[in-house]
Amino acid sequence: MSLRQVFEQNPNRRYIMFGGKGGLGKTTFSAATAFWLAQQGKRVLVFSVDPQASLTDIFQKDIFGKGAVPIMQNLWAQEIDADKHIKDYQNEIRKKILDMYGFDKVPEEIEDYIQAASAEPAMEESAIFDAVVDIVVKGDYDYYIYDLVPLGHALYYLSMAKVYDEWINKITKLREEMREYETMVSRIKREKETDEDQILTELQYIKQRINASSSILTDKEKTAFFFVVVPEEMIILDTMKAAELFQKFDVPTAGYVVNRVLPPELRTQIVPAYLKNRLEMQSKYIDQINTSLGKQVLAQVPEMERDVTGLAMIEKLANIMYR
Amino acid sequence: MPEEKVKKARRGGLGGILDNFKEVMYGMAAHDMSRYAVRTRASMEHLFILITMGDLIGVPILPPYYSLRLLPYVVPNIATWKRRMLREKDISDAMF
Repeated sequence: MSLRQVFEQNPNRRYIMFGGKGGLGKTTFSAATAFWLAQQGKRVLVFSVDPQASLTDIFQKDIFGKGAVPIMQNLWAQEIDADKHIKDYQNEIRKKILDMYGFDKVPEEIEDYIQAASAEPAMEESAIFDAVVDIVVKGDYDYYIYDLVPLGHALYYLSMAKVYDEWINKITKLREEMREYETMVSRIKREKETDEDQILTELQYIKQRINASSSILTDKEKTAFFFVVVPEEMIILDTMKAAELFQKFDVPTAGYVVNRVLPPELRTQIVPAYLKNRLEMQSKYIDQINTSLGKQVLAQVPEMERDVTGLAMIEKLANIMYR
Repeated sequence: MPEEKVKKARRGGLGGILDNFKEVMYGMAAHDMSRYAVRTRASMEHLFILITMGDLIGVPILPPYYSLRLLPYVVPNIATWKRRMLREKDISDAMF
């Protein structure tokens, strides 16, 4: 089956992700796929969850922190500015405290806490995670293409959803127990029902957001996760390991795309020994990929004559990927 | 509620005796129970703040991003919570 057929036969899959080790072509494939889908008349948003995003470079347009920027007809691209997201979020919390208690300024120790919490290393990822929830729950587009972070990082991102989920379940339970005591007291004292617990409401809101995001990542109907590999031993081994781990997180693997394949016609030409060795090495590993993955290999993308940046090159690549 | 206030106002005569009797019965039977429940509720509140805002007293807690959302609601409790968490404990704590 080809990549094109996979898309044509599964029109419900709206969330498309390319995962792989760093530098194998995730961003390139994301951009090319977005381009192709947009050409088919679908409204597409390609967005980056990487703090070191490279969509700006591939589209040769500064889109960092500018929201969804139109690239061409039907195609938008977005790079999340995590720092700005964190700052806005902090201000929202500050404003809420001032409004709730009528303070002129946030008490010092509370302010210290707000600042310290934002310096946590996980804060940036959490902020991006949260921003992604905002993007995908709106549902303005036909397709969402996640330009993912490298594999190890992506696993962290996935596990974060699980950690959040467990954390929130635990504290929600505690909060509910507290609520029981509260109602018990008011029953004994024959008072009216106590006010609604705002923290509990807030917890339920957080829970619903986390679920929205993690349910997308594991939805077999709506999500497709493609692995990008290159015919080299270490990359194949690493990708296989990662694929196993991803399966543990119930991420639906849709297939593999092999990148950087040297053009086979080189084999019939007289080439220097160096290139000849590379060709032999690649054909060995391509055979290996084909035997172990078989039909899961959806496309073999050749090493291009130059790097893929700018719409013209993206189009050229899209035509190869989705021919 | 104004109606409740009227009810709670002291009545004279037989009604007054009945009210007093009710209060005495509440004191004997239920006051301890409700006091216990209120105390448990307060301990849980402190536990809750600890597991969401532990960073405030140097206990690192995951994940702070969403605990910030809860911060506004616990602002009034933070001072008492810190006092309780950081004070020295002795045997008399267990008695009262």
